[in-house]
Amino acid sequence: MAGQSDPHPSLFSADEVEFVAEDEMIEIVPNMRMEPLNLLCGDYGPFFPQMVTKVPIWLAIALKKRGKCTIRPPPWMSIESLTQILESERESQESFQVLPFHYVEISRLLFDHARDDIPDVYMVRSLIEDIRDVRFHKVETSLESFEDARSSAVRIKNLSAMEVNIVRPFVGRALQAFYKHGSPDLIPNPERMSNSNANRWQQAPDQGQRVCYELMHGVILKSALYEKDKGFDNDTRHCSTQARSCYIRMLARKIVPVFFGSLF
Amino acid sequence: MYGRKGCQLVKEIASGEKEQLTPFNSDLFDQVIAECSQHYVELQALIRNMQEKGLDVQTSKNEDHFGALIHHLSLVRNKRCLTSYMYNRAEILRNLIWKVGPVLPQEILEKLSHFEKEYFKKHSASLKSYMSRIDLDLAVDMVPPKDPYIQVRVLDDIGEGIVLSDEKSVNFARHSMHLLKRTDAEQFIARGLMEELTG
Amino acid sequence: MANYFDIDDILAEEELVSVVFQKAVNGVGIDPSSETDSVEPGSKVELPFWLAHELHLRQIATVKLPPSFNQKTRLELGADAACVDLRSRCPYFYEFGCKIAPLVGDRDMGSFLLSAFKNRYQEVLAKAHTAAFAAASKFLNLLTKEETNLYEAAQSSMAAFKKWRIGGPRFQRAAVLGRKRKPTA
Repeated sequence: MAGQSDPHPSLFSADEVEFVAEDEMIEIVPNMRMEPLNLLCGDYGPFFPQMVTKVPIWLAIALKKRGKCTIRPPPWMSIESLTQILESERESQESFQVLPFHYVEISRLLFDHARDDIPDVYMVRSLIEDIRDVRFHKVETSLESFEDARSSAVRIKNLSAMEVNIVRPFVGRALQAFYKHGSPDLIPNPERMSNSNANRWQQAPDQGQRVCYELMHGVILKSALYEKDKGFDNDTRHCSTQARSCYIRMLARKIVPVFFGSLF
Repeated sequence: MYGRKGCQLVKEIASGEKEQLTPFNSDLFDQVIAECSQHYVELQALIRNMQEKGLDVQTSKNEDHFGALIHHLSLVRNKRCLTSYMYNRAEILRNLIWKVGPVLPQEILEKLSHFEKEYFKKHSASLKSYMSRIDLDLAVDMVPPKDPYIQVRVLDDIGEGIVLSDEKSVNFARHSMHLLKRTDAEQFIARGLMEELTG
Repeated sequence: MANYFDIDDILAEEELVSVVFQKAVNGVGIDPSSETDSVEPGSKVELPFWLAHELHLRQIATVKLPPSFNQKTRLELGADAACVDLRSRCPYFYEFGCKIAPLVGDRDMGSFLLSAFKNRYQEVLAKAHTAAFAAASKFLNLLTKEETNLYEAAQSSMAAFKKWRIGGPRFQRAAVLGRKRKPTA
């Protein structure tokens, strides 16, 4: 119901969304020679000086921090492209321009770690902030139109990960309220009601939860194998296993309540 | 009576700040339990009344029956309030393991009842065995990691000779700065004994 | 479905409703106007919903529509929904409305609650992301518990995003430990 107490207001924290974004690929220009990296998440390299290659952002940042490469900002992060996007965002009140799903996180990561690799970094940064503001304002306006729709639904295309994450707790609750009050069986028959009272203690976990549990439990079993990979002295390789096992922990923690729930 | 006190107990949780634990109100808790006994006594008396009149307790619906029903409903209501109080506190307790770690600081221990301390201990133990069975420490990396090492400052005297995961012993004097394995530092920061330095 | 341990659900069921007893009841002190420990048929008593509900189902008492849902409130909400102080009328307006509707046989309750919520929802949405907390506090006093939770959900996710954008330490002292405690230097 709208506004029942909810211990998990947001499914993912901004840091977690950023972590997921670090798996997006980006181009780097190495300044060193290195054998290919065969990591859990894939094989990257070999690396040769001045030869452009594609790696996940987390790896690009790790190499950049150690002075081993420069990062090539993605094509959409140019003044021309951003100016055009901003204009189109402002022109159309309904639609959202197509931007990478993780544009908020990617741009922040690059501003933090590779600002010297981005031409006109200040301008680019302020353009992205403007775009984000315009878009978020539009999200709010679209959410207001819940009211007009008979179906209590709103369709917003091309939203990005962070934008979705910000409105998720609010929209989730609001939708629940709309559905609850809009549903025709607000007045249930008495028989069913007393049944539901009796069953309060033994509500079966719903299908979704079980599927989620099974999926994630599989992940955990695998992770035990992953952990054994640790202990390479290669710094970068170490980074990778570390990062992966964190992700697995993150998922694993989310299922612990389900796991123990079945014991009580 | 009639569920008032039980509701007060629940209100205490509702009015508390989010994620903050209030001291276990054993006073009010016991009062609600006493009320339950009182309701039970009165319920019994009404049923005896009916038996004395020679009525079938199962089927007759007279004023005594309805009175007994109200006492019964109040009992059930009190039970719901009591269990909800325990349940919601237990939920905060289970979260504490993730937020503060298996060793609780004094300021939190003070707020727990005897049974809650027991519960916390047992829950940490079963979590621990679960983690060793899957061969994975779930209590680290609560925030997605960036680097394996982070810079920290010690805020409180933690003591000498603390052994870290790489089996080196460190002296954490107050205000000293260290470059630590992130997974080692995490718990100290959560307990407010260290802070992360950035920039 | 109601959740047995849910605090909001328990508190919503504590709302008082007035009932008229149809049967006599012995041995209970719930009627303040009665001198003995009994209730006469026809007595009007204010009871918490959880009790009134069960008595109503067993036809021991009949529930009357609470004033929070009377015609006057409906007219006020129809005129300017966002300005009506619902909290002082009933802190769990929507939840309680849903619970009371089947008892009083009010088939319009759903659509009434829905339109009230729709109209007030916009205001919550607009205030949650833009207004400063001080400016919003007057408005917040008008909101029901359900609306407040909605407002806080929007506020906290926006605040979390802003915090992430600014950056800073990623690891922090557990919030549950309280805010005090400056290490004595």
